[in-house]
Amino acid sequence: MKLKFYKSTIILFLLFLFVGIVLKGFIFKNSAKNLSNQTAIATLNSDELINSFTLNEKKSNSLYEGKVIEVTGKIKEISFLNDRITIILTNNNKTFGVICDMNPNQKEKIKKLSNNQKITVKGICKGYLKDVILLDCQLDFSANE
Amino acid sequence: MNKILPYFLLLFTLSGPQKNSKQFIARQGQITFFSYTSVENIEANNNQVLSIFDSETNDIAVNMLMRAFVFKKDLMYEHFNESYIESDLYPKATFEGKIIDFDKNNTQIQTKIIRGKLTIHGISKQIDIKTTIEKTALGYTMSGEFNVAVSDFRIKIPPILANNIAKTISIKFRFQFQPYEE
Repeated sequence: MKLKFYKSTIILFLLFLFVGIVLKGFIFKNSAKNLSNQTAIATLNSDELINSFTLNEKKSNSLYEGKVIEVTGKIKEISFLNDRITIILTNNNKTFGVICDMNPNQKEKIKKLSNNQKITVKGICKGYLKDVILLDCQLDFSANE
Repeated sequence: MNKILPYFLLLFTLSGPQKNSKQFIARQGQITFFSYTSVENIEANNNQVLSIFDSETNDIAVNMLMRAFVFKKDLMYEHFNESYIESDLYPKATFEGKIIDFDKNNTQIQTKIIRGKLTIHGISKQIDIKTTIEKTALGYTMSGEFNVAVSDFRIKIPPILANNIAKTISIKFRFQFQPYEE
């Protein structure tokens, strides 16, 4: 009887520990996000996105800010400034663009890209300065091939 | 004809390059801020800071999205945007200023003061920022470090977290300017 009591407390203790670790993982999770399993709430080309922000920034913010979106555009520039991989997308609009801060795990895929290539990128929209800014971006290869 | 030609050349040399190299842009400026306390160290990074600099008037403008700051932990990001900075109300922080005694032809590294207005959390404050300016092949690189008091920008920190967040935040910046083509 006593042995059984010990056993159950040990199991209970382990269970609490497990729940605690899982919860900790949820609350203090690392912010390096992997978006490959997340679906985009909107799919649009870079001009549509930029026009939307230049016409009505407030409305566009409420639509896209903090959300995962998919943007198609032409590569204007790939830069490795400050140890980050950044792709700037444009289309017909030359002054404004979409700055895509790429997830480091995309490095190998990015090596195969070249300027003026048309690509689709999935990322979290952060808002608009002179360009629309997307973070944690991933290349959408199913759409690119 | 021979008499007029040198004047034409002079006109070209004066008007040509200056027109192109007046404004500079940095789309991927880097700003990092630190809060050091005995309880925890907080660091956040923004690699998409926009800045435009005019080498004729020495005016400089900086604009950044508060939500583009990346933290180590999601909870820090949430607290920063929702409780302290209130990014829904004040999504951007800006700086507008002038570089004092800037010498655009100096190819050496020069240290100058930028005097201007820093706006965070909807509150503007006059500030002097020391910067080192380096001339590069295409433009300029400006970098430096300065401190900001949390209380100056009416950022409320609940008493329970007062020990976790420093009273003064140190801010590091680095901008690589390129010629700005419209």
